[in-house]
Amino acid sequence: MTATETIPTERIALTLADMAVVDADVHVNDTPGALAPYCDLPWRLSLQALDGASYPYLQVPGFAPNLRLDPPIPGSHPYRSVDTAAEMRAELSELEIDVGILFPDHMLTFAALPNIDYATALAQAYNRWLMEEWLLKQPGLYGVMLASPQNPEAAAREIERYAKVEKIVGIYLPTAGVNPLWGHRLYDPIMAAADASGLPVCLHSVTLVSPAFPCQLDQFENHFGRQVLSHSFAMMANLTSLIHSGVPARFPNLRVVFTEAGIAWVPYMMWRMDKYFNEYRRMVPFLEKRPSEYIKERMWFATQPIEEPDNPKDLVATIDLLGGPERVLFASDWPHHDFDHPRTIMKLPMPAAAKRQIMGENALALFGISAPVGKL
Amino acid sequence: MVRLGRIEVGVFNVDGEFYALPNICPHQFGPLCAGTVNGTTACSAATDWRFAWVREGEIVTCPWHGIEFDITTGKSLSSPRLRVRTYPVAVADGQVTVTI
Ligand code: FES
Repeated sequence: MTATETIPTERIALTLADMAVVDADVHVNDTPGALAPYCDLPWRLSLQALDGASYPYLQVPGFAPNLRLDPPIPGSHPYRSVDTAAEMRAELSELEIDVGILFPDHMLTFAALPNIDYATALAQAYNRWLMEEWLLKQPGLYGVMLASPQNPEAAAREIERYAKVEKIVGIYLPTAGVNPLWGHRLYDPIMAAADASGLPVCLHSVTLVSPAFPCQLDQFENHFGRQVLSHSFAMMANLTSLIHSGVPARFPNLRVVFTEAGIAWVPYMMWRMDKYFNEYRRMVPFLEKRPSEYIKERMWFATQPIEEPDNPKDLVATIDLLGGPERVLFASDWPHHDFDHPRTIMKLPMPAAAKRQIMGENALALFGISAPVGKL
Repeated sequence: MVRLGRIEVGVFNVDGEFYALPNICPHQFGPLCAGTVNGTTACSAATDWRFAWVREGEIVTCPWHGIEFDITTGKSLSSPRLRVRTYPVAVADGQVTVTI
């Protein structure tokens, strides 16, 4: 511990400029027209045909699992997107973020896409486009490559192809609508390739209307109800899926990141799984330790949409319950409607060292990114 | 099962070795020693990730919530927080003596 860190945190004017700031979840606008030149035939023609289609048919291009059924209520905030690398760089810098980990917009519903050949080509097109148009264009932009659950063998080859590419720092597992859940052995080729590559897998869900997943969201009458449950149920279901089939035991190097579901669900799931591990250990003998221990050793949780309890100390306590600041990655979700500004973490009553970890150090280490010049 | 004053102790014979555990589960105080004694499952790289049945006769399962305990050590198989003490057992001239 350095001398400055012994000073009570209240008296340190710690600012974002003093630390590396990594944002574990920002979104690029992956429209059909943008992806088309990067896509193999014949699907390139499909993307070209969809260029200029209205929004629902863009998610994923040609398929609309998240049709908004609500009557419009004027006055809501507008849909925001980031369309170029230069825009992204400028906007992240405006938010005092040094490094952004890029996730898609439209490909968030990718797992629900039924056409396997189209899905395979689309994933490859997205990865090429992400590399060429974003990661190589601006400093401080890193990407997670899309692994198609529809075609695990092809996804595994894609992971091998990108494993050593500097700007690719993780593997995006589309989580909304994924069926079966990510712990299924069907996906073992993806997990094995991830395990061998050293890249963490990053689960990211989205609100998606499906009678199967994550839990009858089609029955909610408005978007409030769907929004509240969609991401967190998706993460809870997939975390449980990964644990119950022994993925962390069978793939001992695999590291897992959970994004866009907040963090307060994690202690609950740890306690709940540990409780039933006591009762049902015989069913999961491949687990060599309690589920919470795998979580505390090899899983990370991105902050956004951060819970906002009346007393911010409750949030700090929650972070400790899920394993401490080292498990937590700052994420903004820029430019989406429920994005979090970095100050949501900076204003929490916690030590400066913990803020540095959450705001950047953890992500730099996890994703293998060197510290931005002049930071740390 | 033997009662010594207010203490109930389960005495187990595992392949000719005797072990004694308190008949009270550290989880929610169920009657641990009244549970089934048998083996348990294993699955790891050593079993080629196939389920195996191991340690027959060495595991007692609490009848209340099914938590498994290793009779030879008193440790549960699922949590370092759940364990019972073991009492020393001596065998001489066909007489089993438990010291508590
Ligand atoms: S009381 Fe023994 S398992 Fe719950």
